[in-house]
Amino acid sequence: MAANPMSQFNVNKIGPEIKLGGVDLSFTNASLFMLITVTTILLFLYLSTKDKKIIPNKLQLLSEILYNFVAKMISDTAGSKAKPYFPFIFSLFVFVLMCNMIGMVPYSFTVTSHIIVTMVLALFIFIAVTVIGFLKHGFKYLSIFVPKGVPVVLLPLITIIEIISYLSRPVSLSVRLFANMMAGHTMLKVFGGFVISLGLLGGWLPLSFSVALTGLEILVAFLQAYVFAILTCIYLNDALNLHH
Amino acid sequence: MPQKDFKTRLKIEKDKLANNARSNNDNKSSYLGSAFKLGTELVAAVAVGTIIGFILDNWFGTKPWLIIIFFFIGSAAGMLNVIRSAKTMQKRD
Repeated sequence: MAANPMSQFNVNKIGPEIKLGGVDLSFTNASLFMLITVTTILLFLYLSTKDKKIIPNKLQLLSEILYNFVAKMISDTAGSKAKPYFPFIFSLFVFVLMCNMIGMVPYSFTVTSHIIVTMVLALFIFIAVTVIGFLKHGFKYLSIFVPKGVPVVLLPLITIIEIISYLSRPVSLSVRLFANMMAGHTMLKVFGGFVISLGLLGGWLPLSFSVALTGLEILVAFLQAYVFAILTCIYLNDALNLHH
Repeated sequence: MPQKDFKTRLKIEKDKLANNARSNNDNKSSYLGSAFKLGTELVAAVAVGTIIGFILDNWFGTKPWLIIIFFFIGSAAGMLNVIRSAKTMQKRD
């Protein structure tokens, strides 16, 4: 077993190398776990909604809770105008949640602990929200950079600050998810390594820490998916309802 | 179970839910989520500001100055972000 706590994040190729126009498109363990995640989600949603009953069984109840949770989150933060975007936010939330949760299974790979994955998700949201804002409001959308009631002298400075604040959205969105997942999994591995190196006598303390951290990590895995989705709702809200 | 019986039970549960919706102060875990949110909010804006300053410096060849100015503007943007999300949190409670 690898003793290096960072080796769990290595991306390895599975199968032959595929190159398309200088771009490496080989199948890796990251792609494998993304496929596993998507298959799990599809299977779960298919099986749980296969026979729709008025009195749901446990599986159906679970997917109904998931649906209600996301629907409530969207209506609370972005209002009724955001209803058409429900499928996108639902898939986003379930995908991030499942990636995080599958990453908690021992010997598996956490897709969301790589900044490239979270950055692509965040940039997609950022560009989509900006496009939606311009489509809904035209050039009036630029008024989110100019807050009301600011003296003319301060206006250029404030506008620059607002633009930087706007541009920092995808960075904070992606770094938050990536950093939390990576830090948590590194910590788990480090404590696991302590158990091995301290042996039968001293290993019990780090083992108990490991157990507690596993619980914490499951909480963080859920929370980060939740924060990711709710921030998407908030950004969508800014784009749909211009109010400052 | 007769259908009618189920319907009355469903109605009672729905009423209960409607009553609970107001008093139930959401889940405690969302507070931890907000705490995670605030930290990165501040850092991201500072990083973005500094990177913009660095790029502009390379463009205009004004080596140290724009990066310093944009570092401070980025910090201001970060604080703005934090204040904004704190305000929305207060509004939600």
